Amino acid sequence: MNVLHIALHEIKLSLRDKRTFIFMMAFPVVLMLILGTALTNAFTSGATVEGLNLLVRNTASDARLTAAWSGFEQAIAKEGVVAKPIEEGMDGREAVQEDLYTAYAEIGDDGIRFYGSSKHTIESNILQGMLTTFADRYNLAAAAIKAAPSDAEAILGSAGAAGGIVRETTLDPDRKPNSVDYYAVVMTTMIGLYACMSASYLIRGERKRNTMTRLSASPVSKGEIFMGKVIGSSFINSMCVIVVFLFSKLAFQADWGDHYGIVLLILVTEVLLAVSLGLGVSYLFKENSAGAVMNVFVQIASFIGGAYFPLEVMGTSMRVVSELSPLRWANRGLMNVIYFDDWGAAWGAVGLNLAFAAAFLAVSVISMRRREAL
Amino acid sequence: MNVLEIRNLTKKFDDFIAVDNMNLSVREGEIFGFLGANGAGKSTTINMVSSLLRTTKGEIELLGRNIAKHPKFAKSNIGIVPQDLAIYEEMTAYENVSFFAGLYGLRGSELKERTIEALDFVGLGDKHKSLPKNFSGGMKRRLNIACAIAHRPKLIIMDEPTVGIDPQSRNYILNSVRKLNRMGCTIIYTSHYMEEVEELCTRIAIVDHGKIIAEGSKEQLKSIITDTKEIWIAVKSEGAVDLESLKRLQGVTAVRLEDQTIKINSKAEINNLNWIIQQLIKDQVEIRSVEEQAPNLETVFLTLTGRNLRD
Repeated sequence: MNVLHIALHEIKLSLRDKRTFIFMMAFPVVLMLILGTALTNAFTSGATVEGLNLLVRNTASDARLTAAWSGFEQAIAKEGVVAKPIEEGMDGREAVQEDLYTAYAEIGDDGIRFYGSSKHTIESNILQGMLTTFADRYNLAAAAIKAAPSDAEAILGSAGAAGGIVRETTLDPDRKPNSVDYYAVVMTTMIGLYACMSASYLIRGERKRNTMTRLSASPVSKGEIFMGKVIGSSFINSMCVIVVFLFSKLAFQADWGDHYGIVLLILVTEVLLAVSLGLGVSYLFKENSAGAVMNVFVQIASFIGGAYFPLEVMGTSMRVVSELSPLRWANRGLMNVIYFDDWGAAWGAVGLNLAFAAAFLAVSVISMRRREAL
Repeated sequence: MNVLEIRNLTKKFDDFIAVDNMNLSVREGEIFGFLGANGAGKSTTINMVSSLLRTTKGEIELLGRNIAKHPKFAKSNIGIVPQDLAIYEEMTAYENVSFFAGLYGLRGSELKERTIEALDFVGLGDKHKSLPKNFSGGMKRRLNIACAIAHRPKLIIMDEPTVGIDPQSRNYILNSVRKLNRMGCTIIYTSHYMEEVEELCTRIAIVDHGKIIAEGSKEQLKSIITDTKEIWIAVKSEGAVDLESLKRLQGVTAVRLEDQTIKINSKAEINNLNWIIQQLIKDQVEIRSVEEQAPNLETVFLTLTGRNLRD
């Protein structure tokens, strides 16, 4: 009951510190917005293809070929390709060089000649692929006419049919976070780690206010005071993190995957680790230096833990160093469970968080017992 | 019946002995003055009684029970008014009292009633929703007291409860102390203001170098120094006063200068007033008045410890 009384008091005290509370909420949200917007390109591996203009000179006299080509033109129009017949006296290759068209094709009874733009290689390769597909199907139909005339009609029909001209395949089948998704995760874990700064003030603050005298003189054990403070601080900081998590999900549509249970477990255990770390450091360092130590630690841990930019852009040695940051464990666990349904890293993060939290709590309890007061 | 009994109490910090084999008893219903200069061992003793410090040796009994064996019982029956304000500035007066009272096991309607009662007692009932950061120094001191009394302790330890406040608030607090005492609380009171102690306390102990050097009622303490008199000489300017030459005069035991008044302690049997005045005239000090004071606690303290209470 005393533990609950002290925990509620701690929550109330944290809520009264409006400046810190607003900072804890607004800081990650603003960073998510700024970094998520500014670094969009750093997270995308796709390219937008538009303006596929094909200049065509059709000199074919074969009625079947002309009909098939006409059907093909209609089909590629649906894919966004504009096929324009060349005007009298115009040089198609020059028009492509002058960047008036993406590619130039000459259709004749003897085959198709294709000239692509060197300035728009992706676009011209797409058009080349489409024309190759048309040519293959037409050649197949031409061969079929000799062997099975009845099937040739169907093949010719498909040569100009919509769809199936280019099949989209990818070399990167896994889901990847976009910039907003990435910063939603790393900012939320970063703000979870910020709990260590307020936690370093949990006992120090009581000493500074002299309220430690009253707490120590009351018939409440050191253990109850300690537990109440840890529970209260962990609860309010977890609430902060959950609000940021919900805001990023609802306002920024950030992708947090489907396994909310384990996601929240990682976040809450990370807060517990941060609170224990702050408390432990406040016992190990003298008075105000604990706050300074925590401040420096949070900045370094955030930097090497991937809070400001993805670790993929770092060198190997930096990635090794990043393993020292609690943010790295949490971020990896979250990313793996969100994007690859890989629970191993997630449980690993939970385990590390709890193990280190227990270690720092043990340090605090031993130091506290050695002291005469708290 | 003794509310507090201290036997052979010793506290060492490494090689430094802060409290040295102290023996003391505080009776039920007393306002007990605990006097000592800075570093005399007064706060260390209070901290051991409040279970804030462990004893090196000796025993402390509260209401007949050893506090080391029954710490919860002892803590439940003691209220602490620390010298430094011990309140949460960002919580209302009500929340402050309610939180600390809650630590003593009070819950629900009882907690509410006791909180309001304590705030009313110190005259902050109408300010219960206000934040202490908007309070005057005197109001904060009163809140500091309210936080210590809501759980109705048997023994209240007040460490300099009136330090740094206006005379009006001081009077309010002194009246509150008397009222608490009438309600049955035993009070241990420490102060640097000797007149407060003289006015309030029924018994007084003087502590020096970790030991009780005198204990008793005001009258008993004053009777200790029948062989001493105090002469106050008001002067126009402090600049020319040579205290060393006065100290060398026969019978003079101590000399100090406060607010343009030379305060001289001297052996009662030696009539040295003429020599003192002659010395001042020789030093060209302009004398405004001369008075011989009846011994007061200040004189007692100075005579016994050789120091002022504010040293």
